[in-house]
Amino acid sequence: MTDRLYQPFVEATRSVFQLMLDLQATECPADGFSPAGVTDISVGIVGDLTGEVVYRFPEETSLNMVKIMCGMEIEAVDEFVTSAISEIANIISGNVMTLLAESDYKCDILPPAVGEETPGDYAVSSDLRISTTAGDVCLAIRLNPAG
Amino acid sequence: MLWKDKYRLGVPLIDAQHQELFSRVEAFMVTLRSDASWEEKVRKVNETLAFMKSYVVEHFRDEEQYQIDIRYPGYERHKAIHDGMVQYVSEVAEEYERRGCDEQLMQQFCGKLLAWLINHVAAEDQRLARYAIDKGVQG
Repeated sequence: MTDRLYQPFVEATRSVFQLMLDLQATECPADGFSPAGVTDISVGIVGDLTGEVVYRFPEETSLNMVKIMCGMEIEAVDEFVTSAISEIANIISGNVMTLLAESDYKCDILPPAVGEETPGDYAVSSDLRISTTAGDVCLAIRLNPAG
Repeated sequence: MLWKDKYRLGVPLIDAQHQELFSRVEAFMVTLRSDASWEEKVRKVNETLAFMKSYVVEHFRDEEQYQIDIRYPGYERHKAIHDGMVQYVSEVAEEYERRGCDEQLMQQFCGKLLAWLINHVAAEDQRLARYAIDKGVQG
């Protein structure tokens, strides 16, 4: 089950980074991912699966990705940057839901919110690290089957 | 420059409208991110917000009509995405007025608008273009 739920996150993240940012993304071990200045964007999941995915954007990654999009130098993670990376998280999550629907999981996402992961017991608890030349992003996937 | 040639769909009306949208969003962003005082930025911000409210509706209407004309099978899904954005722009405009021209709200709006527009044109609209090319109905 974990693998069936994990792969759509890999696929959607790689696809969105390629299409939106022209970045080649590779999956790598999440161990030791603890950079300073991380912005956590949480996207809730409801439906056949419940839980959340928390996108952990290090400061450097946030600034580089927004710079790619807007073509301007960005010096700090402010409301503009947080909103832009929240929308990236929203888009990836939406694409994941489309892929999960192909495996007969009907789920919806909630609007992205800045915040750390919600502690709890989850049947699926995986950390996915995606590496790009703009920096890495870690996805904390926390899901339970509904009911 | 925000606009990239890879965003071109090959449908002259839609491509021209996309370029206009990118150009307006870029001007909005440059103003918003400048070192000028908020008082100096407000006029341009108000102008952009008014433009977005009307132009987004007009562009989406034209793009949806094009999808109907070419019998695009993803029309319902695409329209739902458009409707969501129209609602978001309308809600932000109301909130902006209610808060009395709040800069933080506009910074958030601009960040989301930037990422949304790039994804929509680079991903969603390209699906439409591929369908039109495959069917030989790109116009």
